[in-house]
Amino acid sequence: MEESNDNLCVGIDLGTSRSSISASNGERYVIDSYVGWPVDMVARKLVKKQVLVGREALDNRPMLELRRPLERGIIKEGSQKDEEAVQEILRHLISLVGVKQKSKNRPKVRAVIGVPAEAFRVSKQRLRGVMEGIADSVMLVSEPFAVAYGMEALLHALVIDIGAGTADFCVMQGRYPTEEDQRTLSNAGDSIDEQLSKLVAERYPEAQFTIHMIRAWKEKWSYVGQPQGRVMITTPVKGKATELDITDEMRAACESILPPLTETMLDLLSKVTPDYQENVRNNVILAGGTSLIAGLPEAVQKYLGELGGGRATVVKDPVFAGSDGGLAIARDASPSDWEKLSLV
Amino acid sequence: MARVEQTKLQVLRGAVQDNFDILHGIKTRPTTETPRPLRHWLWGLLLIAGMAYLATPASVVSIGKASAPSAPAPAPVVTSGRAAGEPDVIASRPQPLNREVFPLSLKRIVIDPGHGGVQTGAVAESGLTEKEITLDVALRLRRLLIDAPFEVLLTRDSDKTLALEKRVEFANSNSADLFISIHVNWMEPRTIRGPETFFVGPTDDPLIMKLVSMENRDSKHSFTDLRQALDKIYIDARRNESRTLAKTIQGQLYGFLKQGNAALENRGVKTAPFAVLMGTQMPAILVEVSCLSNSDEVKLLTNGEYREKIALALLDGIRSYANNINGLQRKGT
Repeated sequence: MEESNDNLCVGIDLGTSRSSISASNGERYVIDSYVGWPVDMVARKLVKKQVLVGREALDNRPMLELRRPLERGIIKEGSQKDEEAVQEILRHLISLVGVKQKSKNRPKVRAVIGVPAEAFRVSKQRLRGVMEGIADSVMLVSEPFAVAYGMEALLHALVIDIGAGTADFCVMQGRYPTEEDQRTLSNAGDSIDEQLSKLVAERYPEAQFTIHMIRAWKEKWSYVGQPQGRVMITTPVKGKATELDITDEMRAACESILPPLTETMLDLLSKVTPDYQENVRNNVILAGGTSLIAGLPEAVQKYLGELGGGRATVVKDPVFAGSDGGLAIARDASPSDWEKLSLV
Repeated sequence: MARVEQTKLQVLRGAVQDNFDILHGIKTRPTTETPRPLRHWLWGLLLIAGMAYLATPASVVSIGKASAPSAPAPAPVVTSGRAAGEPDVIASRPQPLNREVFPLSLKRIVIDPGHGGVQTGAVAESGLTEKEITLDVALRLRRLLIDAPFEVLLTRDSDKTLALEKRVEFANSNSADLFISIHVNWMEPRTIRGPETFFVGPTDDPLIMKLVSMENRDSKHSFTDLRQALDKIYIDARRNESRTLAKTIQGQLYGFLKQGNAALENRGVKTAPFAVLMGTQMPAILVEVSCLSNSDEVKLLTNGEYREKIALALLDGIRSYANNINGLQRKGT
């Protein structure tokens, strides 16, 4: 509502694997959710920074105490270091959109942050605490709700936001979603990585690879259903670069999320008033990085067919759908709303 | 267009209010009608369940010398939601530990030796009782875990009667991070042998339903109560962790016991609505480590070395699971 140079509205999708920000000044960024601190003096001299965030941290990981501080979409429990790491990610994101924290002309930052649909209240309070000194007012909303708001899919829609740590479900029924309208599953991108890693190791016991390589393969070749071609990767076997076929393993790993996904979808659909179940089935929206798995909307649609038919679509911009939605909420909230949610 | 704007305004108000409530520590407002305690509904269902059970042909499961079920007969487990207006008898009891948003840190585990005291559990032809085996294995496991980086508590460490609710209460009040209930199976045909591990969930397998009714017989809750609670937590996040734990334990148990016992069958990981798995707030499993109905297994179970082997297998399973969640930095792992 209120837009001025004194205020900057931002939407943030704080993800286990990647975090994105969309700001009212038109800036948009996505970073890897990694933070690293140099392990010693030598490392500090080499990297020339006290702390590294995102891709830079990942690329310099041998010299860093590397953290992926968000687990299943929320700050890891019981670790001060992880809390600091989340703070670094948020500070970095805010700085990317042009906010200089120490500047006299620093605008008031009004941030909407997406969190997993079933995040604990205490987790939300912790996140608010982490935002102190970074933003002036903070609103936390469920990730799929942010997506739904951004797309104006507020009535008779089911949004499934599949990220790395969690798959979040939210049925929109023309009101702010309640606990009953939302679900969170841990069967998401990371669980595919674990499966793939296990399956590749089983088939090729002598192959050498890391979880980062597994993620890269998944991002490039993930699919469910019929393969478009063979999935061939190159990885060391006893130190020698070797080409391996992981077509079947990729499919099995990716399809491992389908049963819990459809199970939860059915559970939520069955709770919708019968008059509107068909409308909701015809408006299933997939978002989040993991929704980019080839064939996923078709697989979901096939399942919807068993329930009487339906339509599943992937949002146009899965990476920014959450942060864009958050920005839309931030912009639409009134100054008095922001006043209520002030951190000061 | 005006309607969209109006809806946006409405949902935005909800979002702001929700945040305001969190900020000021106000408990979330109830958004759905509170279920009314329609006791007559429950009794009606119990009656139907009882009649259904009586009408069921003799089960494939024999309970041998084990005492006959004293609890009301089980109704078939169904996975459909509750009928409108049906009472939410114990639905508020399980407080789900949402694993998706709160990663588990393993600090305390509760081992639950099944049965005890007057509740003998299954009894072999030789007179060997389930309660003896479960306690023996649990005590061995506690000894083996003495140097573990987490605390180990037993629901019972002697031959005493302990209600299922008390076991659940014990695990919950001690804020356990894991709950492992040890049992020994009795199955027909008696050639069946091999471990199986359960985590909470529905089942329509008549064999498992019978087993559940046997193991749940000491629960004060009716089967209908349990089914309703199950409906509530069917998609519960806790299931994911319980499933992982069950898979790990079952894998280790079968792998370990199969050595030198080639005839052993891997009966796998299954879901079932055992009372102790329904009320516990942490990842929980029930493991049937052997079969008292199989004479070869009974022979093995009378041997202390074999029971030690079972305890070692459970230890490995717990350690493997703990390594995954606590990292390798902990001592002894």
